[in-house]
Amino acid sequence: MSDISYKDKGSILAPFKSLSFFSRKPVTESFEPRIAADNYRGFHVNDWDICIGCSTCQKVCDNAAITMVKIPGLPDDPVMGIRNERPAIDYGRCCWCGLCVDICPTSSISLTQEYVHTCRENELDSYFILPDPKGMHDKFFPKGWSKTEDADLVDLERQPMAEMEPQSRSDNFDEIVGGFTKQQAIIEASRCVQCGMCHDSCPTNMHAPEYIRAIWEGDAEEAVRQMYRTNPFSHVCGRVCTHRCETACSIGRRGDPVAIRWLKRYAMDAVSDERVKEIAAEGKADFISGKKIAIIGSGPGGLTTAFDLAKNGHGVTVYEALDKPGGMTRYGIPEYRLPYDRLDADIDVIKSIGVKIECNVRIGSDITMDQLKQDFDAVVVAIGLQQGRSTRIPGSDHQQVRASVDLLRMITAGESFDVPESVVVIGGGNVAMDIARSLARMQKSQYGKVAVTVSALEDFDHFLADAEEVREAREEGVVIFDSRGPKECVVDKNGKLEGLTTLGVISIFDDDGRFAPSYDEADEQLHRGEMVIESIGQMSDISLFGEELTEELEWNRGRLQADENGVTSVPWLWSAGDMVHGPDVVHAVADGHCVAASIEKYLNNE
Amino acid sequence: MRPENYEAIKQPPSNEYELNFGPNHPGIEGNYAFRVKLNGDEVLSARADAGYLHRGFEKLMEGRLWIQNIALVPRICVPDPVPMEVCYSLAIEELCGLEIPERAQWLRVMQLEMSRLAAHLFAFGGHAATTGMYTPMFWGVADRDLILDRFEELTGGRVYSIYNIPGGVRRDMPDGFLDRLDSLLDYLDSRLPDYDSLFFRNQVFIKRARDVGAMTQEQALKWGVTGPNLRATGLAFDVRRDDPYLVYDKIDFDIVTQPGGDALSRNLVRRAELQQSIRILRQVIKHLPSVKGAVRCPIPNPLAWNVPAGETYTRVESSKGELAYYVVSNGGDKPYRVHVRGPSSMHAVQVLEKLAVGSRLEDIAQIMFSLDACPPEVDR
Amino acid sequence: MTEHAEGHSASYERIKSKKSLAEILEVATSFEQKAFEFYTDLIPKVSKNMRWLVEELAVEEQEHFALFTNLAKDPSIEEQVKQQIETPVEDRRFSDYIQLPDLGDDIDDQAILQYAMGREDAAMKQYRELADTTEPGAIHDLFEFLANEETKHKQELEKLYYELIHSGGPGN
Repeated sequence: MSDISYKDKGSILAPFKSLSFFSRKPVTESFEPRIAADNYRGFHVNDWDICIGCSTCQKVCDNAAITMVKIPGLPDDPVMGIRNERPAIDYGRCCWCGLCVDICPTSSISLTQEYVHTCRENELDSYFILPDPKGMHDKFFPKGWSKTEDADLVDLERQPMAEMEPQSRSDNFDEIVGGFTKQQAIIEASRCVQCGMCHDSCPTNMHAPEYIRAIWEGDAEEAVRQMYRTNPFSHVCGRVCTHRCETACSIGRRGDPVAIRWLKRYAMDAVSDERVKEIAAEGKADFISGKKIAIIGSGPGGLTTAFDLAKNGHGVTVYEALDKPGGMTRYGIPEYRLPYDRLDADIDVIKSIGVKIECNVRIGSDITMDQLKQDFDAVVVAIGLQQGRSTRIPGSDHQQVRASVDLLRMITAGESFDVPESVVVIGGGNVAMDIARSLARMQKSQYGKVAVTVSALEDFDHFLADAEEVREAREEGVVIFDSRGPKECVVDKNGKLEGLTTLGVISIFDDDGRFAPSYDEADEQLHRGEMVIESIGQMSDISLFGEELTEELEWNRGRLQADENGVTSVPWLWSAGDMVHGPDVVHAVADGHCVAASIEKYLNNE
Repeated sequence: MRPENYEAIKQPPSNEYELNFGPNHPGIEGNYAFRVKLNGDEVLSARADAGYLHRGFEKLMEGRLWIQNIALVPRICVPDPVPMEVCYSLAIEELCGLEIPERAQWLRVMQLEMSRLAAHLFAFGGHAATTGMYTPMFWGVADRDLILDRFEELTGGRVYSIYNIPGGVRRDMPDGFLDRLDSLLDYLDSRLPDYDSLFFRNQVFIKRARDVGAMTQEQALKWGVTGPNLRATGLAFDVRRDDPYLVYDKIDFDIVTQPGGDALSRNLVRRAELQQSIRILRQVIKHLPSVKGAVRCPIPNPLAWNVPAGETYTRVESSKGELAYYVVSNGGDKPYRVHVRGPSSMHAVQVLEKLAVGSRLEDIAQIMFSLDACPPEVDR
Repeated sequence: MTEHAEGHSASYERIKSKKSLAEILEVATSFEQKAFEFYTDLIPKVSKNMRWLVEELAVEEQEHFALFTNLAKDPSIEEQVKQQIETPVEDRRFSDYIQLPDLGDDIDDQAILQYAMGREDAAMKQYRELADTTEPGAIHDLFEFLANEETKHKQELEKLYYELIHSGGPGN
């Protein structure tokens, strides 16, 4: 077919060619509903079981057509990262771009192949709908535009973290994790969809969305400022936090959660210690209240309480029984996970606010509780769980059967002990991993080889230690047996410890989900070791209270009774930290804030 | 309704009178008005009156994330939305230094030509209607719908495909798409003789359109005329060839010109471009299966996407002429400024105002349609 | 210790020599009563933070005591006993590996729990053995029932033990 020339004069008869259409078959559009294309962007459907109410769809919606609506009765669990909110669509605003589908972190939302929605005058509100799995008109239409790998706008992969290789880290206590570079941190921070699940799940409700945003904007100082709103242990938590934020992160539904902990660490490392002190001091009271508070224990719980109260202008003295402040963060967490200078940096900030820390003072013997009661307006006991439980199986009273907390404390304090050439650890938690990996390092540097066996009750599906702890421990030569119950510490005729015998565990939970291990008698094993280390539960040494105060206080199933604000049954005494809520740094920090706020009220006679 | 345009004016004692042509008039494309001064049916002067569709696109874009604008830009020109998406995406890609996968480039060319076909079918149908011939309009719109069916299949949307995204396209085409596109092209090919006999070679049309709304090449260049309207003055200028983007430099096609510079020439250029677009699409169908790989390069999380500071001017050849985006970023997550250089604003305002003078009242609509101007794009 | 515990041969012989249901129940009842008295005596002797545990144990024993007393009075005892043993409870054998402690002055919660588990274990074994040596019938069913009761009780204690000792305390 050639082009028509401009000179072509045309023909008056040419249009009559269309008379031939009389002989053609007419085109008829059917009344039957037309079938839409497989990709069609029709009306929304939302799988409520998958949707977590993160509101990312709302954020990307270019027409503000999406409103998050609270649905009572749906699961609402901050720890799991689920809200009972679901998106509702205003079809007066929706432009069917489908960005909500492409960015949905969970892939719960899709568009159907349905073409038509209309209404009568009195049903105008039918354009505001709450999509559920059933579809707009309770009529099934296949899914049209839905999540595909091509179209996914969620970055599911986390920035790689530089770590020391197993061979270079296994004989020293150098920090394993290298930390993000600025470029990595910005890219990692850019993965965040600002849903705030992290904030809700954090025991101390850190402003993670805000500081992630600040890091993305390249403003590390602002990030630090956001952190200090809730956490004076940001160096520590940037390294060893149990990061419930990452468990709740909505990106983690289908991919790697945003590395929130490493981002915190990046921001803290990026700002000089002196500048951090200035930022932390912002908002400090410009008066001295004259009130005095004593805090027993310089772990995260005690020092957070101290930080808040000192910031409010009160005189705070912290008493620490050991040589240096920090509690379990210093004497429990090995240096390869948390270098002491970073812990010192956190504590220096707290000191710079005006907190006085007195080390090597043991309350109960050096100073009595009675004296504290007389000398101070309020007393906080935040002593943690410093004693290791024993299994008390036969042979467990042998001198080479030790408690992990004691050994970890000795390693930090630099106290020497004979490093066993082979060792068996009982327990499957993070503390068991800490002692196993610490001893593996000492064995490697002294003997050139590692012989550490860990025997844990739980199976790997229900393991207490973090997966990365298990992986790294194995890389360092630690052998881990799961589903093993300790039976006996075997001692030979000469009184020398031979090792630990264990039985296979058939099941660990009963029908109600409570721990109730059952054993297979036929499956017995001997793990050889010159030393057996018990690393099961921990408890508080409450001897500092003395008989009289112990009797005066109320207790709850073995623990000091305290309400959510740490108020004990004695009006001048508060308690905070692990001894109330179990071992976790960030819980202790959260506790510290509650206790400080409660004391503040008490001091103001509110 | 702007009061300054519509206040009562005392008429001088003569045959001259003023007429409000539009904004609600069957001879006007969209909501657009033309205020003409006539002596009998001869146009003495004309004033374009735009703004009835003003939605402030350029300002709106400054308040939205970079990615959110992909849903906004196709609305600037309803009959030919794809070049808007592609041009906006190209601008961001240039600012970010993104390398678009080759497959995405071919897919973009495919959509651009599909969109051009659809737009030209719409245009000649519209022109026919202004000269009282309604059958070509029905045909044009019906056949355009078949192209929209393919758009629906490819992109999930019939009119606003919102398929292009900075970095590439949003997803790969469905299985068997090229076969169905191929048979559509066969059908459109077979329709060209019908269009010719009913319209393009219809003496009624030729006599009505010849010498109507004529301009010289010099005038066209002076007035900023581009696209088919410029080629209808005999100048073979086409962004696709003179400043190639995507993979147009790998594709054979002719730049069609006509000498007249009038409504007839402009329609004949579009008529020829229908054929050229079909030719390009056939090459895409042949070549695309051999281009493997991703359809989009990795892009950051759209909610946290800072485009590096800078400015860029990207242009493409839309069905209406040269379409360009001038985008300025200050390094933030939203554009600092977006300016759309739409061909229709030149054609519908300054060109139409000049061409209308001296023509007859019944030709105003014809001239406007022959320029293929798109009022929403004038108003953006 | 022996005056409180059932786990020695003299009491076994004492139970085994009995034949009638009522007599068996009477002996069992007195075991539970003695345990109840033992724990009640212990309450003031332990530190206040551990008292909850001993108090709970005392309550448990008191419940058993009441159960046995009521059983003895119930005319449809045979039928009831039969119903209770239709789903035998598995013995998890956890407490086998915890030494019976010497309940001296310096006792803690772990020692108390170990003692209690050992006690339940011994009672359970005793009833189980009695059940095994008796002919099928009402008496056999009663021993089965008693053994199951003690097994259930022991398992509850084992769970508590695990929670207290192996995971840092209940409520974690």
